[in-house]
Amino acid sequence: MRWLSNATVAHLRRVAEWPDLGATKYRLLGELGRGGMGTVYLAEDVMLERRVALKVVATSAPAPEAAARMLREARILAGLEHPGIVPVHDAGALPDGRVFYAMKRVDGQRLDALAPTLPLPERLRIFRRICEAVAFAHARGVIHRDLKPENVMVGPFGEVLVMDWGVAKILSEPPPATGEGAAASGGGAAARPGGGVATAEGTVVGTADYMAPEQAEGAVERTGPPADIFALGGVLAFLLRPEGAAPRPLSAAVRKARATLPEDRYASAGELAADVTRYLEGQRVLAHAEGPLERAGRVFTRYRAAILLILGYLLVRTLLILFAGHP
Amino acid sequence: MRDDTGIGGSADRFPETRSSAVLAAQSPDLLERERGLAILVETYWKPAYKYLRLRFGASNEDAKDLTQGFFARAIEKDFFDGYDPARGSFRTYLRTCLDRFAANERKAANRQKRSPGAALLSLDFDGAETELRREPASAERGAEDYFHDEFVRSLLALSIEKLREECLLRGKDLPYRLFERYELDRDGDQTISYDRLAEEFQIPVTQVTNFLAFARREFRRIVLEKLREITANDREFREEARSLLGVSS
Amino acid sequence: MSKPVLGLVLGGILGIFDGLTAYFTPEARTMLLGIVIGSTIKGVVAGLAIGFFSKRVHSLPLGILFGLGVGLLLAFLVAAMPQPGGKHYYFEIMLPGAIVGAIVGYATQVWRGKSLSTA
Repeated sequence: MRWLSNATVAHLRRVAEWPDLGATKYRLLGELGRGGMGTVYLAEDVMLERRVALKVVATSAPAPEAAARMLREARILAGLEHPGIVPVHDAGALPDGRVFYAMKRVDGQRLDALAPTLPLPERLRIFRRICEAVAFAHARGVIHRDLKPENVMVGPFGEVLVMDWGVAKILSEPPPATGEGAAASGGGAAARPGGGVATAEGTVVGTADYMAPEQAEGAVERTGPPADIFALGGVLAFLLRPEGAAPRPLSAAVRKARATLPEDRYASAGELAADVTRYLEGQRVLAHAEGPLERAGRVFTRYRAAILLILGYLLVRTLLILFAGHP
Repeated sequence: MRDDTGIGGSADRFPETRSSAVLAAQSPDLLERERGLAILVETYWKPAYKYLRLRFGASNEDAKDLTQGFFARAIEKDFFDGYDPARGSFRTYLRTCLDRFAANERKAANRQKRSPGAALLSLDFDGAETELRREPASAERGAEDYFHDEFVRSLLALSIEKLREECLLRGKDLPYRLFERYELDRDGDQTISYDRLAEEFQIPVTQVTNFLAFARREFRRIVLEKLREITANDREFREEARSLLGVSS
Repeated sequence: MSKPVLGLVLGGILGIFDGLTAYFTPEARTMLLGIVIGSTIKGVVAGLAIGFFSKRVHSLPLGILFGLGVGLLLAFLVAAMPQPGGKHYYFEIMLPGAIVGAIVGYATQVWRGKSLSTA
């Protein structure tokens, strides 16, 4: 029998998992990343001559639940046409039965890697774009449930894309008939007749650091847009980390977004974005109760050029009046 | 609402008809039992030998005796009947049995001879020893991980062999040779490309693409079949698939 | 309100106030009305010019600098005019005039007016 070196074994392990794209219009180019339920590959759409990212169900994922979940994710993305949400181009099944969908290949960097290299105003502008995308999704009745810097890509031209809607919840989708829960990220989904894969009550989905309390409890029914607001607060806190001591108005915005009770948080992602905009424009951040000194400082900072010019004029005039007649 | 369970339905495409060798090894039916045991021995003997060399520091002769002894004893004494899928993977169970067997053998002053009449397993220990010399165990890998690595190597090698046999049988020798050249003989050769293969084999590039796709598809099918064979149920299959497929070693 | 119109209005208003400060210079008090009118006209002309500049060039530092320059120039022209008694008040006219020009430059740059907001 043929002997296989370690390098060959490693290679064959990848080959064995590679999708067979023979019957599709895609040509496999490489692997981009791997998650619990699927692997993302770089492929070329030979018809349109463009590169795409193909997400394929992992062999180790439980079928047919995994297939249903993948298709659901694709349909959610297909229904969310927004510049800040990664667009899906195609979906189908491979000859070996694995379900896949093709989406835009994002050339860029993950926000968690990029953020420390950017100045604060730029980070905040990116954050606003994330809020816009999330607000759009909420308006379409979809909650992301796993917002975090690792799931945001920033392109070379500053485009911001919210990725990985694999555990998104459709607000109008009825809950599954059985309520047996399982504590696992992305797990605990019941494959229902008809193919829907709603999350069973008691199931915890998301990432711990960014999970709202109601989400961490597995209270699926009570998990709504405020859970995403909580996560956005976490993202904002992450973006403020390079500052060391974050500006107080923004810290207040983070605290409000991450309030324990959903009703105490921002009412929408749009409101959170608006407060960040106010900070960028030197206006009062609504979540922050500023004292008179702080307010004076902010006004001075915002209108500093005008204030200095006027004071300069008054000073010059005063000096001229005082010393008028003195050679 | 559309029934998505029919879409993809990867479970339908997998060879559900191929039954688990693990369960077969526990079967009261003698032929079925023998079939199951043969598959398990074929898959695990080499990892067991190498594991014994590493874990117990056994010499090649001692490891050979222990390996022979273990599987012979396992067959005689129905070791594998004690395996319960609910308690873990078969691979872990087998390794635990191997540990116990080797420890007991070492305690006994004289190694217990195999009972007369027991089949002497004809296994290529020299080949295994050569492999060990070519790719010695890494100091960083624990014994358990090493056993897993060798199990993966064994499974893939058996799959390659099966692929070769099937391709030969079906008159698909060329796809296998292309697969061999591109996927197996590429160690250190980063310049291999479809164009070069087309040149070497005097066929169009499109044919290289199609044949390689065919061979890869068959390879994957065989690997998954083998994985199904040496696992007891769907959960174990998925766990083994997760640790085997796609990841780098 | 467009930037040129804002410049015109603001320049005129600031020109009035700037002219009125001549009240505090005893020698100039007698000519106060003339000074105020002149300062207003100077302010209107400077403001219009600065406003047009701000419409074309969108840069706060450049706008302030341009306003400073125009204010300084027009103030110089006024200060250089023959005065009764032959005395010229270059310093007293040019320095404040330059700052007023800078203020109008600032205001016309930050003014959004008819143009689309570029947040």
